[in-house]
Amino acid sequence: MIISVILIPFIAGILVPAMPFQKRWQKEVFLETAVVLNSILVWYLLLHHSDSTFLLAHFTGNLNISFRVDGMSMVFAGLVSALWPFATLYAFEYMTKENNENVFFLFYTLTYGVTLGIALAANLLTMYFFYELLTLVTVPLVMHTLTREAVLASRKYLYYSLGGAAFAFLGLIMVIVYGSTTDFIPGGVLDPAKTAGKTDILLFIYVMAFMGFGVKAAVCPFNSWLPQAGVAPTPVTALLHAVAVVKSGAFAIIRLTYYSFGTDFLKGTWAQDVVMVIVMFTIVYGCSRAVKETHIKRRLAYSTISNLSYILFGVVIMTPLGLVGALTHLVFHAVMKISSFFCAGAVMHQTDRHYVHELDGLGYKMPRVFGIFTISALALMGVPGLAGFVSKWNLAGAAVESGNPLAFGGVACLLVSALLTAIYMLTIVVRAFFPEKDFDYSTISDVRDPGWKMLLPLFVFTLFIILFGVYSQPVVDFFMGVATGAV
Amino acid sequence: MYLILSSIFFPILAGLFLLIRFRTPLSGENRAVSRKTLTSLIGALLVITAALVVAALMCAKDGFTLFYLTKNLPVCFRIDNVGRLFSMLAVIAIPCAGFFSFAYMKHEARESRYYGFYLLAFGVLNALCFAGNLITFYLFFELLTLSSMPLVLHNGSKEALMAGLKYLFYSLCGAYAALFGIYFLYQNCDSLTFTADGALRASSIAEHGGFLLVTAFVMLLGFGVKAGMFPMHAWLPTAHPVAPAPASAVLSAVIVKAGVLAIIRVVGMFGRDFLRGTWVQTVWLILALITVFMGSLLAYREPVLKKRLAYSTVSQISYILFGLAVMNETSFTGSLMHVLAHGFVKAALFLCAGAIIYKTGKTRVAEMRGIGKEMPLTMWCFTIASLGLIGIPPTGGFVSKWYLALGSLKSGLPVFDVLGPVILLVSAMLTAGYLLPLTIHGFFPGADYDYGGFQKKEPCRLMTVPIVILTMLSVLTGLFPDMVAGIIAMAITGR
Amino acid sequence: MDFICNFPFFSILLSLFSGTVCSVLPAKAAKIVNRVVILAVGLMSAALLLYLLSTGESFIYWMGHFPAPWGNEIRAGVLEAGMALFFCIIMYLSMAGGAHKLPGEVVESKHNLYYILVNLLLSSLLALVYTNDMFTAYVFVEINTISACGLIMIRQVGRTIEAAVRYMIMSLLGSGLLLFGLCIMYDLTGHLLMSNIKESVELIVANGEYQIPLIVSVALMCTGLCIKSALFPFHAWLPDAYGYSTVSSAAILSSLVSKGYIFLLIKIIYRVIGFSVFNSTRMIDVLFVFGLMGMIFGSLSAIKENDIRRMIAFSSVAQIGYIYMGFGMGTQAGMVASIFHILSHAATKSLLFIAAIGLTDVSGGSRRFADLTGSAYRNKWAGVAFTAGSLSMVGVPLFSGFISKLLFAQAAVQVEGKMLASLIVLGISTVLNAVYFMKTVIRIYTATTETPYEGITFRHMKAYAVTLVFFILLNVILGVSSQPVVNMIGQGLAMFA
Repeated sequence: MIISVILIPFIAGILVPAMPFQKRWQKEVFLETAVVLNSILVWYLLLHHSDSTFLLAHFTGNLNISFRVDGMSMVFAGLVSALWPFATLYAFEYMTKENNENVFFLFYTLTYGVTLGIALAANLLTMYFFYELLTLVTVPLVMHTLTREAVLASRKYLYYSLGGAAFAFLGLIMVIVYGSTTDFIPGGVLDPAKTAGKTDILLFIYVMAFMGFGVKAAVCPFNSWLPQAGVAPTPVTALLHAVAVVKSGAFAIIRLTYYSFGTDFLKGTWAQDVVMVIVMFTIVYGCSRAVKETHIKRRLAYSTISNLSYILFGVVIMTPLGLVGALTHLVFHAVMKISSFFCAGAVMHQTDRHYVHELDGLGYKMPRVFGIFTISALALMGVPGLAGFVSKWNLAGAAVESGNPLAFGGVACLLVSALLTAIYMLTIVVRAFFPEKDFDYSTISDVRDPGWKMLLPLFVFTLFIILFGVYSQPVVDFFMGVATGAV
Repeated sequence: MYLILSSIFFPILAGLFLLIRFRTPLSGENRAVSRKTLTSLIGALLVITAALVVAALMCAKDGFTLFYLTKNLPVCFRIDNVGRLFSMLAVIAIPCAGFFSFAYMKHEARESRYYGFYLLAFGVLNALCFAGNLITFYLFFELLTLSSMPLVLHNGSKEALMAGLKYLFYSLCGAYAALFGIYFLYQNCDSLTFTADGALRASSIAEHGGFLLVTAFVMLLGFGVKAGMFPMHAWLPTAHPVAPAPASAVLSAVIVKAGVLAIIRVVGMFGRDFLRGTWVQTVWLILALITVFMGSLLAYREPVLKKRLAYSTVSQISYILFGLAVMNETSFTGSLMHVLAHGFVKAALFLCAGAIIYKTGKTRVAEMRGIGKEMPLTMWCFTIASLGLIGIPPTGGFVSKWYLALGSLKSGLPVFDVLGPVILLVSAMLTAGYLLPLTIHGFFPGADYDYGGFQKKEPCRLMTVPIVILTMLSVLTGLFPDMVAGIIAMAITGR
Repeated sequence: MDFICNFPFFSILLSLFSGTVCSVLPAKAAKIVNRVVILAVGLMSAALLLYLLSTGESFIYWMGHFPAPWGNEIRAGVLEAGMALFFCIIMYLSMAGGAHKLPGEVVESKHNLYYILVNLLLSSLLALVYTNDMFTAYVFVEINTISACGLIMIRQVGRTIEAAVRYMIMSLLGSGLLLFGLCIMYDLTGHLLMSNIKESVELIVANGEYQIPLIVSVALMCTGLCIKSALFPFHAWLPDAYGYSTVSSAAILSSLVSKGYIFLLIKIIYRVIGFSVFNSTRMIDVLFVFGLMGMIFGSLSAIKENDIRRMIAFSSVAQIGYIYMGFGMGTQAGMVASIFHILSHAATKSLLFIAAIGLTDVSGGSRRFADLTGSAYRNKWAGVAFTAGSLSMVGVPLFSGFISKLLFAQAAVQVEGKMLASLIVLGISTVLNAVYFMKTVIRIYTATTETPYEGITFRHMKAYAVTLVFFILLNVILGVSSQPVVNMIGQGLAMFA
């Protein structure tokens, strides 16, 4: 059962180029059905999970590949499987303008399976395995257009990701050697008897592993691959580089911090301070770069960098509340950012405009897209009543509650970043809706909103942004359950 | 409950409807509806809203919770007397400026967008006045910024866009600074519901008193941005000249006061006893006095009329803030009275300036020689309003400043008890210095004035009537201060 | 003594004689003989391995039944048999994978010479693996050098001759040092048989005499073998030698020849000097440091390289650095990791060489990256194989490279003082590996629209493709079910003691 949700996307993906589709719609129906079915299966699995571990293969010693559903995997797998069908739908329309669709959909669907693998992994080794695999299956997606830019971007992506994994690997080793098991257990698995006297080295390796997984989560100074990877088609940038791939990094760090090393071991040490400072710096750094950037997708990518560090900030507070904040932002940011990316993609698809200064007046021609973009912008800024406020509230609340003076500084960083978010998001909105006085509307006379396949996901995401904004209690309660180990 | 809700959401929905239904036509000509229909529709909407607000003010008693943002974060509304006072100002000034704009906006493009956001801002302001806790307040505070920003950049010129963005980012910066404080308040209070005498837990004060003072200061600075307090005042003189005159009027008379309202609320949350005598109070007093003096001085040196008025707003709002910072009842009374007095006066002044610009196109003070001959009614109103701002009896400005000075002298603060009134006085003189020349040169252009090109330019009723109403109100507050003081006394005590 | 105990001796002799036989056979027959011999030796080693696993202890074989010190001894344990088996597999696959290139690379008349050299190489490797006698070892080291030189030079291009000369000089320097060390050791102990030397060394150490000569001798032997196995900084001969020789030679040289010397070094450490004595010398720290440096500098040179085969060759320098790092840790775990890496690297590196040739073939024979653009689409099998090899090198799970990395890291954690250094260098080296291997992978998968080169399909390279598949399988098997192999290595090391 649990392995099938990982395999179905693999099979479906491989079938795409193999099957003799006569018409495009057949392929679309086939893929969408497979993805939706798989998502339903995932949700069924999550809702009816048992606590048993599914052992797939045995490596050396006590290292094995196995899967299990626990609270964290419910969050991540649930999120990914909820977003994927919509993103696929969006991709159908978006990809009409690109070549090599089959290869694209092959790897796009494969990635679904791999991401689920990360989410459902029962131990650190399994997660590491899928983590590496994720890099490999997503490279062809980044490279998709095969322009020089794309090749350079994918190269960089590979170097960074594999390199990061190499250091994350050190963390894995530490857990293997000094832990009682590599399975994920809330509170960590380090064996106090073995770690005695080796605290500093373990902490050092934790920082290394944090940075290693942090490469995928675009922690400064390892963030430059993400904006560059924006050359990929928008469904990739939106789903993978705002959610699946980058959040895998954050997810892995959560696993490492809360389920392997354990917060008791890490809290209050210099390692916590170090990672917190790095994360805080990234929050501000990402935003400031976003303000400077004029390419829409790259701007959003820098925004992602900053927002990922919001999540990590919640993680490194290392209290249950911090984890709640992190999880809230993990989910809410996914919806907000995918929504804004899809809007950007819709603009690029409809008008071939890629830079902020080309957006003048488009708000009147694409009211739906830009209306939704405005909502997601406000949500990202953290206007109350929208999803972003709730997650920021939880993060800041956790930071204040932790009583860690450094975390207070983190709250300030969050707010500085909110201001910068306002600057880089609202300038786009203002341009679109309030062009200059003597703007010539004839230049955009044939621009219009995209078709339903693109709009439907946008509407759904917007709905959720608002819903989470005004009524998030059940979700947050669930996260609380996950963080305290009750789920 | 429904009255409050409808007074908030009716204008908001109406505004949204306008924005969506009458999306700006791409060329100026093929409008969806005739201008007359549009203006009468909006006039009706403004009147209905105003009526709703008045009804809410009179009838609604109990507060209520609309929904919960997250656990322990209710969005709730309640009418108290401070809110009532601000609401009174809004409900008069906004429709007045609205009617004025029917005439003023005749030649501007995209009127429906302007009115849409105008109504939005109206509804949001009502919500601000009726907000029952800090989170609700913050929610609408952000929305206020967002909905008033399009009013500033309405005419779409490069400067207007830049000014709009400047306004937006200054305000958001302030809002986020305030949010920083809210996070900490939330942890150290039992609830964020407004109170006038401190909501901090005693244990929290004992434990993190020092840090809470920092928090209070950050919140003051943050909300102070909206109120144009030094050092974050720079958006005001940029935003006002480029905005349409009625928008400036609303901005200066009402929206800026949202910052004042916020600061009153914050001080209430922390409690005056907690803040009194601390470094926060001292720094606050210094900042307020600097702003008072600097605003006047800059206004005195400013040649462009609307910008001069904007600097004047900077200065005058800090009168109010000074009164709040002194933290006794007399000065608090003075502050609240100055809210009303300055609101009416400044709205009137901006509308006058708007009328002048509309009729003559002149923006610089130096060009306005003889304007009193051309537009006597407007200039009379301007003169009377000026007197109010300077603080000459029998206008409202006199009464409020009287209270402010009195409160300061009574306060027993070292240095500031005397320094305050002195600076207020100097600033009043400067106010006279920058406002009265207009009147003097307007009515007495001098011997070399060319009467040949003279013609009557008195604007139409739609413009003059709001100006006259506002001017009269500014005088009335001075003539019957007891009535106002009564409400204020209720605001201070009767809760 | 079972009949099967003769197998080591048979395999050495078989390959030695087949070499001689090849000289009179026509090229085609020589090729068949060569393949058959490799297969036969492989089978014998496999049988021997099974036998040893079942008996659970090693044996010593007296050649001609003369006991020491007059006779010559052969020793076979699990490790030796396993290594011999593995060498045969790699050699067979390498020969098969490079066979189609041979006519283009070597003139027709020299073909049987080529097979002679290969057979000689095999016999010398087997001898290095099995011998229990230092002098025999030295003799076969020389034979190994000569045949390796021949294999490099047989492709008569200007650079190969230069490379061969270079290799010859460096190798002879290495064997010279080995011989010096050997002589000193003989002086100290009066023995040439490994087991006898070890006894005497233990005595000397226990008495505390002749410390300096002992260390000098150890150092000389180590240095000699290090030079021969191209440990940084003695690697200058390697890129040219591997980069320009025939494909099969490159694959064999990189994956087997240097590994033969390393295996000899392991034997010397365990069987001659004694593990604990060796660890007590400063030698392991030296090996450790140079191993780490090799890991970094080898990769850095590879990054700078613009020639795919030289790049792979430089990568060998880095990988050999890994192995010496494992030695340098001075623990059983480190040694296990090193030996596993010998296997893993052999399997991977030969795969890479063979795959690279497929790629260069469809790019007009050019090895420059610019020309290789998109070559993976022209030769899909080679593309996939190269990718698999690269992933293994980078240490992606499922491939053998991951397991060796895992073993190294686990071993490193147990060594207090060297842990951080090795872990960090391991990380950095992985990053560097990722840089140059992934750069190449992306390059070969970057489609170009206008290319002057023709593609090749499965039909035209069946043998080649099958070889690649076997190589990949070998890699994956090592990567997935590594536990038996690791156990076997542990068992073999236990037999050494």
